[in-house]
Amino acid sequence: MDELTANIKDKLIEILNLTDVTPEDIDENAQLVGGELGIDSIDVLEMVVMVEKDYGVVISNKEIGEKVFSTLKNLVEYIRSNSLTLAS
Amino acid sequence: MNITHPSIHIAGVGIVSPLGSDVDKTLASLQANHSGIAPLRVFSVKQQPALLVGQAEISEDFATLPRTHRLAMAAAKQAMAGQDCTPDAVVVGTTTGGISRTEKLLAENSQDPTSYMYHGLTTVAEAIGKEVQCNGERLTFSTACSSGAVAISMACRMLESGKSQWVLAGGADSLCLLTYYGFHSLQLVDKQGSRPFDISREGMSVGEGAAFLLLTNKKLKHSYGVVAGYGLSCDAHHAAAPHPEGKGAENGMKLAMDRAGIKADQVDYINLHGTGTPENDLAESKAVRRLFDPPPALSSIKGLSGHGLAASGAIEAVISVLCLKHDFLPANGGCKEVDPECGIKPLASPASQPVSTILSNSFGFGGNNACLVITEKEPEIVRSQDDEVAPLSIIGKSCITGAGHTMDSLGKFFTLESMAGVLETKIVAEKLAARSIRRLKRFSQMALALAQAAKEDFGIQQAPHGVFMGSSWGALSETYDFLENLRQTDEKFPSPLDFVGSVHNSAAGQIAIRYGATGPNLTSSGGDYSFEQAVLAADGFLEKETRRNTALVIAADEYHSHLSPLLDSSVRESNFAADGGGGFYLCRKNIPGKVSVSPSFYGKSNGETLSECIVALGGREHVKNNCAMILAGIPAAQAQAGEQQLDCFMKEVDIDVPVIHYRKFIGEFGSASAVAAVMATQLIESGEIPVGKSVLLLGFGSNCTALEFVMQG
Repeated sequence: MDELTANIKDKLIEILNLTDVTPEDIDENAQLVGGELGIDSIDVLEMVVMVEKDYGVVISNKEIGEKVFSTLKNLVEYIRSNSLTLAS
Repeated sequence: MNITHPSIHIAGVGIVSPLGSDVDKTLASLQANHSGIAPLRVFSVKQQPALLVGQAEISEDFATLPRTHRLAMAAAKQAMAGQDCTPDAVVVGTTTGGISRTEKLLAENSQDPTSYMYHGLTTVAEAIGKEVQCNGERLTFSTACSSGAVAISMACRMLESGKSQWVLAGGADSLCLLTYYGFHSLQLVDKQGSRPFDISREGMSVGEGAAFLLLTNKKLKHSYGVVAGYGLSCDAHHAAAPHPEGKGAENGMKLAMDRAGIKADQVDYINLHGTGTPENDLAESKAVRRLFDPPPALSSIKGLSGHGLAASGAIEAVISVLCLKHDFLPANGGCKEVDPECGIKPLASPASQPVSTILSNSFGFGGNNACLVITEKEPEIVRSQDDEVAPLSIIGKSCITGAGHTMDSLGKFFTLESMAGVLETKIVAEKLAARSIRRLKRFSQMALALAQAAKEDFGIQQAPHGVFMGSSWGALSETYDFLENLRQTDEKFPSPLDFVGSVHNSAAGQIAIRYGATGPNLTSSGGDYSFEQAVLAADGFLEKETRRNTALVIAADEYHSHLSPLLDSSVRESNFAADGGGGFYLCRKNIPGKVSVSPSFYGKSNGETLSECIVALGGREHVKNNCAMILAGIPAAQAQAGEQQLDCFMKEVDIDVPVIHYRKFIGEFGSASAVAAVMATQLIESGEIPVGKSVLLLGFGSNCTALEFVMQG
C-alpha cells in the first residue's frame, strides 16, 4: 500500500469515525459508498470537504463525485492526478 | 359516551417574511408573483459571491433582542392586534433561537454570560409570552422545517382538550451562519435561487421569517378560517434525506385529511412543501400522486419566499388563510420547466378561483412531517372521541447520570449520595453498536442509549409509535464544532455532519430510525422544563388506539465545557459539571401494577400560579391525602424564588411529607427532572411509597410545573 492510500484510509477512519474499522479492512477495490462500511451520501459530503481541504482537489459535481467515490482506488487516483499540493 | 371536538377557529394572523412585513404586503407580493429572494445582505460572509437567500425586512422594534425573536415578536403582535383576549398558552416552533447573536459572541470570544441570555430556543416563546401577558404554557418545538406546523398542531390538541381557550401558535427562524452554511455544506442550496419542481432544480434558498395564528375553540363572529385537521408522522428513514417514495409525507397528508373528515377530492389546493431540492420535490410529488387522482391545484411558494425553515409551516398556514379569504392561489415561483419525473403540474402563475379547503405540507430533517388542513368553514362532519382518557403508563424507564447507567444511578439515589458528574462518553454509549453512533456526538449518543435502555426495560419487541424528546440546549458539541470549524477555515469548510447533528431534533430522528417509530416525532426545548414539555406533548398526541398508543419520551442534556457555563446560569452557580437524562417507554392505557405519569400543571410562576397548580392536582385535600413524597426541582440560579414557592406550596396544602431537592443529587442540568422522574417511578415500583399514594415531581423557579406519579390499581 502506497503512502497516499494509507493516509486517505486513516483520514476516512478519522472523519467518518469508523471506530470498528482498521485500514486493512478497507478493500481498495470494493464499493466505497453504499458498501459494507455503511458510508452514505452525508459521508460523501464530508469526504468532499476533506479532499478539498487537505489536498486542494475540488469535486465540483455529482457525476464526477459518483465516479471518484465509487472505490477507494478511484478516490486515491483522482487525488493523485489533480492535487497541486501533492505535485509540489 | 362520545363528545365532539370543538372546531379550531383562527381569530388572528400575523406574518413577516421575504414576501412582506405584514399580511397585506405578503398578499400583494404573491398576487404580483414577486420574489423575495436576493443575495444575502443581513450579515457579511467571507465566502463570495454571497448565496441567494430569502430575507425579511424587520422594524427597529425590540432592538435588544436577537433577530429570530424580533421576527417572532412582530408577527405575534400582528396576530394579537385588536384582540380582546389574553392567550392561555403560546406555542412556538423554532430551530435558531438566539444563535445569530451567539455566533457573533463566540467569534469575539465573549466570556460574558449575560450576553448569551437569549441563546436558548425557549427564550423566543418567553419573550412573546411576556409581551402578550400569557401566564400559561409557553412551549417550544424544534422539529427542523416542520416546527411551525407542529406548533400549530400542538395548539389544536390543547384547544381540543378544552384545557386552553386561546392559544397563540406559530414559528420563527432567522438567517444565521449555521443555516446559511449548513445547507450549503449539504449541497442543498441552488445558486440560481430555489426552483421547486423544475427539471434542473438544484436546491433551496435558505430563508427566514415568522408567522403566528391566534387560535381558539370558541365560536367567533369573525373567523379567518378553521384548522380542520393536522397530521404528524415520521419517515424513520434518514437523518437528512426524505423517504424516496414519500411514505412519511403521504402518511402525514392522509392523517391530516382523516382528522378533518375530508376525502382527497375535497381538497381545492395543496400548498406544497416544495423546497427545490431534487429529493424532496420528487418524493413529495410521488406521495401527492398516490393520494390524489388527479391532484388539485398546487404550488410551492418557496421559489418566491425562500425556505423559512421553522417558520415555513406557520408562514404557509397564514398564506393559506389569505388564499381562502381572497379566493386566490399563489404561483409556483422559480420553476420554468416542470420536471416530468415529478408528474405534477404546479401553478405557473397566480390564479383566482374559489377555494375553501387547503392542505399545507411541511417536512423536515429527521423525516419529520407535519400537514395541516385549513378550511373556510367548520367541517360538516361530527368528529367524536371517547371521553375517557387513559393514563400514560410507564412500561420502561432508564437514566444516565455522572454515576452511570440506570441501576448505578438508582443505587446512589437510594443511599442519598450524589450522582452528579459527567459520565465518560465511551461508557454512555457502551451498549450501542459502534456503527450506529459513529456520526453522533455526546447528546445524541446519550438519547439513543436512554431509548435503548428504556426499551430493553420494557422487554417486549414492539416498535414505539411516537418519540417525544426534550432538551434545554440540544446538541451543543455539534453546534460548537460546526461554528468553530467555520471560523478556523474562514468559512470555507463547513462540516455537513456537524450541521445535520446540530439540529435539536437530530436525536429524536435517530431514535425513530433505529426503532421504526413512524408516528409523531416531537422535540421540545423549554429550558429547565424541557422534560415537562415533552411529557405534555406525549400527553397531547399519544392516542388510545392500539399500535398508536406507545412512545419513547426522552430528555437529555450534554455538558459542554465551553458552552454550558456560558449558557446555563445554574451550571455557573453550581460551578460543577454534570449532565445526563432520563427515558421512558410510555403506553396510553390503564395497566394495573404499572406507574402512571400525569402532566398536571405547567404555568408561569406568579402570584396565582401555586393555587392554580394545587387545583390542577385535584385540590388541597386530594394532595394532602394522597401525596407521600415531593421531588422538588429548583434550578440553582433560581434558588431563592424557587425555595419561596416550595415553601408556599407546602404551607398552602399543609402537608408534612419528605421533600427531596433532587438537583443536589443529580446535578445542575436542564433535563435533571427526567432523572428525578425515573427516581419517582422507582420509589413507587419498589414499594417505598405506600400503596395508592403518589409522588409529586414539582418544578419551581421561572415556571411552576407538576407531574404526578401513582401506581395504578
